Amino acid sequence: MKIHNLTREEVLRTLVTSEDGLSEEEAKRRLSEFGFNEIKEAKKKPLYIKFFKQFTHFLALLLWAAAFMSFLSEYLHPGEGMLTLGIAIIAVIFINAGFTFIQEYRAEKALEELKKLLPFYVKVLRDGKEKEIYARDVVHGDVILLSEGDKVPADARLIETSGLRVNNAPLTGESEPMLRRHEAYEGEFIESHNIVFAGTAVVSGSGRAVSFATGMQTEFGRIAHLTGAVEAGLSPLQKEIVKATRVIAVIAAVVGVFFFSLGFLIGSNFWDNFIFAIGITVALIPEGMLPTVTLALAMGSQRMAKRKALIKTLTSVETLGSVTVICTDKTGTLTQNKMTATKVWTIDDEEEARESLLKTACLCNNARFIEGQYRGDPTEAALLKAARETIGDFKGERIAEIPFDSDRKMMTTVYKMQDSGFRIQDEKNRASGIMHRVSFVSFTKGAMESVLPLCSHLLIDGKEALLDEKIRKRINDEYHAMMDKGLRVLAFAYKELKENSKFKIQNLKLESEKLENSELESDMVFAGLAGLEDPPRPEAPEAIRKCHEAGIKVIMITGDASRTAVAIAREIGLVKGNPVVIEGPEFIRMSDKELRGKLSEKEVIFARMTPKHKMRVVSILKEEGEVVAVTGDGVNDAPALKMADIGIAMGISGTSVAKEASDMVLLDDNFATIVNAVEEGRTVYENIKKFITYIFASNIPEAVPYLAYILFKIPLPLTIMQILAVDLGTDMLPALALGAERPMPGIMKQPPRKLQERLLNFSLISRAYLFLGPIEAAACMFGYFYVMVNGGWRWGEMLSPNNILYMQATTACLTAIIITQIGNVFACRSLKESVFSIGFFTNRLIFLGIAVELLLQLLIVYHPWGNKIFGTYPISLSAWLVLIPFAVFLLFADEVRKRIRVLSP
Amino acid sequence: MYKRILTAVNEHLNSEVTARYAMNLARVSGARLYLCFVAEKGMAASTIDRAEEAMKRIFIEAGEIGIEIEAVTETGDPVKKISELVRGERIDIVFASTRKEDIERRFYAGTIARRLSLSLPCSTAIVRVVHTGRIRPREILVPLKARIDHVQERAYFTAKLAQAFGSKVFLFHSPEAASKFFHGEIHLTPLEWEEKLPDDISDFMEYMQKYRIAHAGRSVPGSTGRVIAIEAFSKRHDLIIMGASRRSMLSSILKGNPVEEVLRETPCDMIILKPRVSI
Repeated sequence: MKIHNLTREEVLRTLVTSEDGLSEEEAKRRLSEFGFNEIKEAKKKPLYIKFFKQFTHFLALLLWAAAFMSFLSEYLHPGEGMLTLGIAIIAVIFINAGFTFIQEYRAEKALEELKKLLPFYVKVLRDGKEKEIYARDVVHGDVILLSEGDKVPADARLIETSGLRVNNAPLTGESEPMLRRHEAYEGEFIESHNIVFAGTAVVSGSGRAVSFATGMQTEFGRIAHLTGAVEAGLSPLQKEIVKATRVIAVIAAVVGVFFFSLGFLIGSNFWDNFIFAIGITVALIPEGMLPTVTLALAMGSQRMAKRKALIKTLTSVETLGSVTVICTDKTGTLTQNKMTATKVWTIDDEEEARESLLKTACLCNNARFIEGQYRGDPTEAALLKAARETIGDFKGERIAEIPFDSDRKMMTTVYKMQDSGFRIQDEKNRASGIMHRVSFVSFTKGAMESVLPLCSHLLIDGKEALLDEKIRKRINDEYHAMMDKGLRVLAFAYKELKENSKFKIQNLKLESEKLENSELESDMVFAGLAGLEDPPRPEAPEAIRKCHEAGIKVIMITGDASRTAVAIAREIGLVKGNPVVIEGPEFIRMSDKELRGKLSEKEVIFARMTPKHKMRVVSILKEEGEVVAVTGDGVNDAPALKMADIGIAMGISGTSVAKEASDMVLLDDNFATIVNAVEEGRTVYENIKKFITYIFASNIPEAVPYLAYILFKIPLPLTIMQILAVDLGTDMLPALALGAERPMPGIMKQPPRKLQERLLNFSLISRAYLFLGPIEAAACMFGYFYVMVNGGWRWGEMLSPNNILYMQATTACLTAIIITQIGNVFACRSLKESVFSIGFFTNRLIFLGIAVELLLQLLIVYHPWGNKIFGTYPISLSAWLVLIPFAVFLLFADEVRKRIRVLSP
Repeated sequence: MYKRILTAVNEHLNSEVTARYAMNLARVSGARLYLCFVAEKGMAASTIDRAEEAMKRIFIEAGEIGIEIEAVTETGDPVKKISELVRGERIDIVFASTRKEDIERRFYAGTIARRLSLSLPCSTAIVRVVHTGRIRPREILVPLKARIDHVQERAYFTAKLAQAFGSKVFLFHSPEAASKFFHGEIHLTPLEWEEKLPDDISDFMEYMQKYRIAHAGRSVPGSTGRVIAIEAFSKRHDLIIMGASRRSMLSSILKGNPVEEVLRETPCDMIILKPRVSI
């Protein structure tokens, strides 16, 4: 039993209040018991803690340890350049933390938007007197006074109403005003007609209600809590980066410790070993990876924006590429939301009957034709348009209306028809078929299941006939046939009103809740059916086909009837066989287990659903390991948008709450844009793999000189600062250019990436470390020895760090890496396709990246500042020229590898 | 199991709501219900009147449903007086309500509810009332830990309340996410979590079967307090029954305190049970 089941007296008794409201003293006491009536953000980790965490993950801890050891070395053994190294390592930690934080950062404004829907002041009864108080001071048991234009401050049980209609759109998504009554209700709490909910607005009438839930305990608070507290968790890319950094950190640490121990065993001195251990650790850590990933995601989001998909969190760019299920609305996303009445059906298809139906459609309608445009609800506007275009302007004097109510699924209007020319038969003349002018007529339109039971007659060949079972069946068959064509079907009926002792026409008031429904809506004449079509967007079938090819399941969630939904789904190719169709009421009754079973089917459609159900669908799909994208536009879509891996809000029709809660905003509300964004997302992931291969390949020529240094006792061929010059300098722009590669032709023909698939898989690591890297390592050692030997160096001779020959040799070693990385950047443009087949010049940014890379290297080699910072010295042109063949060799060797890979099964 | 149930009544609305929970438990357990109001020194006459009116209302309501009932009014320190009554009458369980002001204090330290929970020799049920519209809870959420102390009493308490209101019980377990060093977090499906269900929870479920209470269960990994609150909000549960926290103050500061978190954010009424009855 809940508050809506109780009578007015029981409500007052249960909440220990009275019709005069609470006393001020009691209200104060209750405020201390229940707290303020306000929306609060669920307690979350503060931003500074999130930022702090970027400094404490495994890789960061390893770098902190390396920095600490560098400072310790500087203190114990000054002059080895360890201070510079320590500072550089800390800079790397900060750069990585900054870029990762930028990736994860997202301004949470959804709650701010929600708060705007609540009132600031409210009228209540306290000590029997009307008082205006702050809405936040409303407590349980307060009697709230409601009138037209008010916003409801808390969830409250109505105890008195007078034509009270509320707009529940923030909670239900339905914009039609709902009539509220104060009598006890036996149905579901959330659908109860005697409850008003916080955040909703009074459209007309007035009432008094007793508050029973305030603040976060209201239904509105529920949306706020779920929107604020629900988090989709780490994105697939973030998870992969966590795994990758752990793998890299462990490899770097193990290699460092191993070679430190090895050096110790073969008799190298402690400090040489120590420098080596730190050097090799730094060399194996791809310092530039996280900044490059972040920048690549930012570039991806720019490209998506050009394709009308606005990305709000950077990591969402890649998450889109991992999506396995898209739960999409129908109206406006898959269809154009341009309603047209395409079929009018009457039993005899005679002109007279069609005219009666169209007149009913015209008069039972709140849309208007103003300044050459139809304004109002799209369905009503479509009906008005159809009527005007067929029978011209048709007007009457409206004297009353029972507005559309989602419980009743119909609306009724009453017209005075003296001069309208609307003709109808009276009961006496039904059999004879004589028509006469009438004064008052009620017109009803609505769902078939609501309207047909109200009818007793229909017009056949100009005469009213009894509506027998046979005809009812015919009407039902036609109704189903029209829905099977994807039409939204409405039924129409009318009735001449006659006064009697209980029913007086002059007592009818416009929009009165006390309309005698039974008199107005009984014994009616069935006028016929109208089928409205919302045509699919022209891009939808192609987008759906792409989804199917890409192994992405598309689930339609619509408020329409199941037959209409299935017909549209068939038309756009969303379903081919017999889909599982789940309707709202069935959905509510289903256990999670049953729903899980249904969702595992290939083709699933949800019909007659409301947005509040979306979150459950998303939650179950996520529990099953799917990566879920969901669309939404209403306030109550916000929790589902937050819970999904990718929440997609509609840019045109979406509320600001939905937009704030989403990860992506569709600027054109078009499903095809989602698919384009998925393609971009997949491309971003492929590109991340490409530049990680590129970055990792350079780790080998950075590490090998250290190995040579410790094993062959030669002067260190590459200093730590020179390694950082590559990782955080020259490599960055070419890597970024790889992030801008266009989608490969088959990218939307592969199934979504499996959760088990690693970013750093064997194929990537072996290509970088065992194939590309060793070629670069050979080049850098060649460059080093080329300069050393030509400069007169002899094996075993140790040179001081300031020796010009030594500095030139390390410069040549560094230059070799830069030159071979140019070959490498072309090789990495594709994973298996020949770079010549994808178009050598198609990515102009590559050339810009190489130009900047070379410019930086020239500064490092030939500018005094570069020399000073990186310990370099100018080298001759010949030293550059001898290294070029290595880059060419690397590119062609990789072409051969790709060819073999394509040919091998 | 519960033959004598005491509920503390005062001038606040939530003590009346709390008394209704106690009353319903007494009804299905066949227990005697003690209503106890302790007027503190210096309490205003109007406050005392208000508490006595509440006592009267509950007394009449309990009488109407045929519960054996006794009303006790005392003066002095509430904790001391209730404690004396509990010992004297050999009370099995005490119901007391907690207020918004109380839970805003860390570990609701120093509050009457906290002192009762710590000092009484019997079981205690501390009730936080936040939603007065859900009069008879139809769906009860019961978050459970992997290791449950007094599993039998907890199951009994839950089953009897469910029986009293004709409710369905939803058992909820929030384990730590499965993870491996190199793989990070590992996603498990509900079926896989079900296979890993701790023994104590399976025992609890067996008790629910024994008491013929309709129940369902699920595991959702994550930050315990937060996922419980999200579950309660999203599934619109009407009541949460949770065990009292056994975390020390230090552990709560370092690792957080799920009970405290849920208390702060609960969308529905919540009962924190501290069982002590030996069976």
